[in-house]
Amino acid sequence: MLAVETKGLTKQYKDLTAVDSLDLSIEQGELFSLLGVNGAGKTTTVRMLCCLSQATSGEAFVMGNSCDKDKSAVKSIIGISPQDTAVAERLTVEENLIFMCRIYGFDKQKCEQRTGELIRIFGMQNVKNKRAKTLSGGWKRKLSIAMALIGEPKVLFLDEPTLGLDVLARRELWRAIESLKGKMTIILTTHYMEEAEQLSDRIAIMIEGRLASLGTLSQIEKQAGVQGLENAFVAIAERGAEK
Amino acid sequence: MNRTWAFTSRNIKELLRDPLGYIFCVGFPLIMLIIMTVVDQSIPKETVKTFHIENLAPGVAVFGQMFIMLFTALNISTDRSGTFLMRLYATPMTAGDLTAGYIIPMLIVSVVQSIITFAAAFIISVIIGNTLNVLGVLLCMLLLIPSALMFIGFGLIFGVLFNEKSAPGLCSIIISLGGFFGGIWFDAQSTGGIMLKLCKCMPFFYCTKSARSAVVLDFSGEGFLLPLLIVVVCAVILTALGCFTFSKKMRADLG
Repeated sequence: MLAVETKGLTKQYKDLTAVDSLDLSIEQGELFSLLGVNGAGKTTTVRMLCCLSQATSGEAFVMGNSCDKDKSAVKSIIGISPQDTAVAERLTVEENLIFMCRIYGFDKQKCEQRTGELIRIFGMQNVKNKRAKTLSGGWKRKLSIAMALIGEPKVLFLDEPTLGLDVLARRELWRAIESLKGKMTIILTTHYMEEAEQLSDRIAIMIEGRLASLGTLSQIEKQAGVQGLENAFVAIAERGAEK
Repeated sequence: MNRTWAFTSRNIKELLRDPLGYIFCVGFPLIMLIIMTVVDQSIPKETVKTFHIENLAPGVAVFGQMFIMLFTALNISTDRSGTFLMRLYATPMTAGDLTAGYIIPMLIVSVVQSIITFAAAFIISVIIGNTLNVLGVLLCMLLLIPSALMFIGFGLIFGVLFNEKSAPGLCSIIISLGGFFGGIWFDAQSTGGIMLKLCKCMPFFYCTKSARSAVVLDFSGEGFLLPLLIVVVCAVILTALGCFTFSKKMRADLG
């Protein structure tokens, strides 16, 4: 079974087509990056896959469940870390995690076990009693991802997880994301080329809502006829703009 | 239900950790209670009855509830302005879980607020030698629940329809109107003419009237039952409207 599948997925806002007939097949356990400039349709695609936005036409499936007809089944197997750090600012790190545990209906024992586990995985022992609003950007992002992982999702959506972080915080977050590879399917949106290059199994490049290129790094480089993801991206984006 | 309680608990914690909540929901009403008692003690006894403790305490309790509206609106509009609500939309939480999770903590805070206000008012009444009727005070606290719901309903609507910058401004207008037309700071009943008609067009007037009647155990139809009925009807309508607005907005956000 595919982790994510879209068939002709389209999102239209009045006279703007944010996502145009997107066909994607993502395998289970894959770390898949959606790459594109601002407004390329990455976040809209993620929103549709997370049942946060209704597709205008086409279909989307997460682990075989329809994002249109079986929203509660989809919501119970996904986790999302949105673009902004979506955390409860006046709650501590631990309280934020416990809150999410309770949302997923875990009992006290499971709450403690899951919270402890995620605090350990993300190295948040020293900040677990700090309120979220006092954390640095990097810690907030880690907390946000940990909150997305609470429900033991089969598919994790990370929407521009390192946006606005300094280079050290970004590298640290990459290590955290890399440690999750293989344990679940991860769909990452980013416009940092090196991030996609470093982390992804496969990369999809979106230009103006359309899928302009899809494959491994070497396949994309071959298609663009240049070396390096940044050069390949620029070549593909310029070709897309000319069309 | 577990999800509702989880969200309720989160909202209570957020509110309790906001210093502004203490200043506006508890501090300011208490200051008004003390200042107006000092005013009452400084003017001839029969000049202005509004500031007598049996009228002042229920009036200030209603005034305090208006700040609950402000914090309801602020809480919702702030959650909406970021992506926190979006994260929750992607979990199994429903619109019902979310609205109940916003209403219940505010209702709890409003009950605690009225207990503090009346406890302070009782102490003041003993000091000035005009002790409040305990039974009347208890009954009034119970009857303030519908008016709290009404203000929470207002807060829910403003919080959903406006952003975190506009919502508090609109609530301030309601607080000013409520204080004025609710007859909290003057005897609206004795004004007559257009002023009284205007006051009677506003639900705030009936909140104050029913609360004041409850404190002195006046169960007359005109002074207590009718105003209470109007407050209950307004509370049901505004809470239902608030829940409907929230669900509609959530559906639009997920459209």
